[in-house]
This record gives sequence, structure tokens and C-alpha cells, in this order.
Amino acid sequence: MSDIVVVDYGMGNLRSVAKALVHVAPDRTIVVSADPGVIRAAARVVLPGQSAMPDCMRCLDESGLREVVDEAARSRPFLGICLGLQMLFETSEEGPTPGLGVLAGEVVKFDRDKMTSASGNKLKVPHMGWSPVRQARAHPMWAGIPDGSRFYFAHSYHPVPADPALTAGTTEYPAPFTCAIARANIFATQFHPEKSHRAGLQLLANFVAWEPQS
Amino acid sequence: MQIIPAIDVKDGHCVRLKQGEMHSATVFSEDPAAMAQHWLEQGAERLHIVDLNGAVAGVPKNELAIREIVSVIGEEIPVQLGGGIRDLDTIERYLDDGITYVIIGTAAVKNPGFLHDACYAFPGHIIVGLDAKDGKVAVEGWSKMTGHDVVDLAKKFEDYGVEALVYTDIGRDGMMTGVNMEATLKLARAIKIPIIASGGLNGVEDVQQICATLVPEGVVGAIAGRALYEGKLDFKQAQAAADKAVGGGT
Repeated sequence: MSDIVVVDYGMGNLRSVAKALVHVAPDRTIVVSADPGVIRAAARVVLPGQSAMPDCMRCLDESGLREVVDEAARSRPFLGICLGLQMLFETSEEGPTPGLGVLAGEVVKFDRDKMTSASGNKLKVPHMGWSPVRQARAHPMWAGIPDGSRFYFAHSYHPVPADPALTAGTTEYPAPFTCAIARANIFATQFHPEKSHRAGLQLLANFVAWEPQS
Repeated sequence: MQIIPAIDVKDGHCVRLKQGEMHSATVFSEDPAAMAQHWLEQGAERLHIVDLNGAVAGVPKNELAIREIVSVIGEEIPVQLGGGIRDLDTIERYLDDGITYVIIGTAAVKNPGFLHDACYAFPGHIIVGLDAKDGKVAVEGWSKMTGHDVVDLAKKFEDYGVEALVYTDIGRDGMMTGVNMEATLKLARAIKIPIIASGGLNGVEDVQQICATLVPEGVVGAIAGRALYEGKLDFKQAQAAADKAVGGGT
């Protein structure tokens, strides 16, 4: 049985996430797997993702992993990253394919007509760069990470949870949006902790140690 | 706005060229991985790597050095890599090695179908590098001019789904005469995806000018090479100047 599994459902490069986890937790068993049995047996589950949500959901279905991922998101320490966050929600403006629906809410595109910063700068889509993340509330996953630490983002869509209480972190581009969500055993980020230097590695280390209170 | 240190790799060494001429290479370090570590320690939040031999040969030529760079900086920040990337297998290998973005230059211009396939196969990982002079695109290590208009081509590539554009004005790169504000501004206004400016970043004044002129139109970064290595531009000062001018963030 592995300590942590990174779910490989055929959506691209998972090595970075796995390597970053190995870096922060050299004494743990970390595997990248597409095997439902391995995922079911892992103590902690990481769902990464990139590309478009409809493609991710299609790959999840085709790989036969929807059920085990859904089960993991409802039971064990679960970290969603980027599309791995978006897939937890019900719908996305990116396409008609529904998400897992583990969390109520939708994923929306940046409004191209409103992409001007307070100082009048035009903001491009995708949002590609480092932005300070404001911690909406205390959470074990934020341990040792100063409020306002910068994380790396690369995305054109962002989540809008139906329940604002799910929001664990926000950033601005230019309007504030939810970039980290937390509920029970789930923590998920729109940003990429595996590309976010010290703050990102700290977040991954926190995930390895995290014991959600149910 | 990010200052993005460039590591140009030729024969396993970190070099800078003047105006893309291979014979004009100045070796700044024989250990590109140590150089990457240095920039990470200086606070760089993105690195720009070029396989110069690969760009000439059309196939990767410095994979070992590049793999060392990625292993040394632990993939802790995004790394973009260009030079000799002309097939999907190469892209896959580099992404597996831990490169975040591959930059497709010549192959994008000469074979747009390849770029299209790459964007489909590796969404979110493809950046196009456009090198231009007087508004026209150049290819093959700047040795050949094409008739393609930069803005037209950039718009087409944007539709393919490329993540960002690196724009280099080749009259200026390596000659330290400053980024071509006018040309970069024209491009930034025409497209919606992020632009990284390249070519001839010379001093803090250039950083300030980019922040004042280009950042308002969506330029998110500027690649710095020779000036950093010759000590004419201090990384920390440059990034601080950018943060001050833009007010932090991206």
C-alpha cells in the first residue's frame, strides 16, 4: 500500500507533482498510478490535471477511474491541483461535460471584457504567472506559509463554489476569485504548488502530514 | 512583470551570442546547472533555456545539461525551453524531464501543422517563440527571413491554443541596445495571450520602460541574458524595479 498516489488518468505530465512530493516526503511511498486497486489502497490521493475540463473528464471516464477518484474525494486526504480542482465541481463554462460534482458550484472563464488591473494594465488570458494568495481562513494546509505568499498560476478558468465557506484562499486577476478550496478531507488549488518554490513545497509537505478532522 | 534569466547552452556550456551568431559565443559558465541554481537563489521565478546547438541542428543537442539544470533547481519554478524542438516525441521527453514549457520557433513557422498538433497533444505547455526584424518573422537561428507578418502569424498561433508568446526583436538581441518597444507594443495590442519580451534588455532603465510601456498591454515578462552575465544588470535590482513599477504581483 502506498502512502500517496498521484492519479494518472492520461492527462499529461504528472512527474513534476510526484517529484515534488518525493522531495518533501522522501520517507513516504509515492506512486503515479492508473490502477484502480492502487488508488483505492493509497492513504492519500492527489488529482492533478491540465488542458480542458471536458477532456479531463473524458479521460477520467475512459481510464475507468471516475469511481475510485470520486470515492477518494469523499473519504481520504485528497489534493486537487488546477484541473484536479475544477473537476470536483458540477459544471464548467469550458464545455457541457459535467464534472464530478463532489462540490457544488461551477467553473467559469475569466471575463475578457473586464481584464484590466486597478492600475489600468491589460491582463492577458491565460493568467500565467505568480500571484499572492490571501488565506481566507486558517487551515492545516496553510501551516508555515505566510498569508499573501505568491503561487504559480496557469489557467483560463476558475472555480465559483456555491458555498462561499468552501473558499480557503483567494487571489486577484483582476477581480478576486477562489483559488483554494477546502472541505473536510478535500483541499484543492487552482495554482500549481509543484511549481511554486518554497511556499508550494510547504503546501505539499503539509498535505503529507495533514490529518483531516471529519 | 518577471525578469526571466536566460541560460543559453552551447556545447554543454552557458554562453551568450551576439545577434544569434554561433561563432560570436561568449562562455559565461561551464556549468549551466550551477547557473540555474544561482538564478533561483537570486529570486528568479522563471527560467528561459535555449539549446543553441539544437536550434541549429533541428534536434536536441544538450539534453544532459538541460536535465541537470532541471534536477538542480528541483522543478521548483517554471522552466521554458527552446531550441531544436520539432517533433512531438521531443516535447514529451522534455516535459517528462520536468520542463514546464517548450518553446517552438522555426518549426511553428515552417510547419504550422506541427504546432497545431503540439497544442492539442500538450495543452498548456506550448509557447511559441517568434523572432522578427522590421515586423517580419525570421527562422533557423535568425539566418533566414520569411515574408510572414509577425502579428498575422501570432494571431493564427493564438487560435491554435498556445499558452504564451516569446517575442524577440533580432536586430537588438545580444547587442544591448534595448528592447524594441514599438514592435513589441504593436504585437501585445493585437493578441490576447501573454507576451514575454526578449532581445537586448540592457539596464534598469529598460526594465522601467518595459513596465511603463509594455506591461499595460499585457507583457508579463522580459528575458535577460548578456546584461545579467556581464554585470550591467543586477537581477535583484531589476526585479525590484519591476515590482515597484508594476506594484508587485504579475
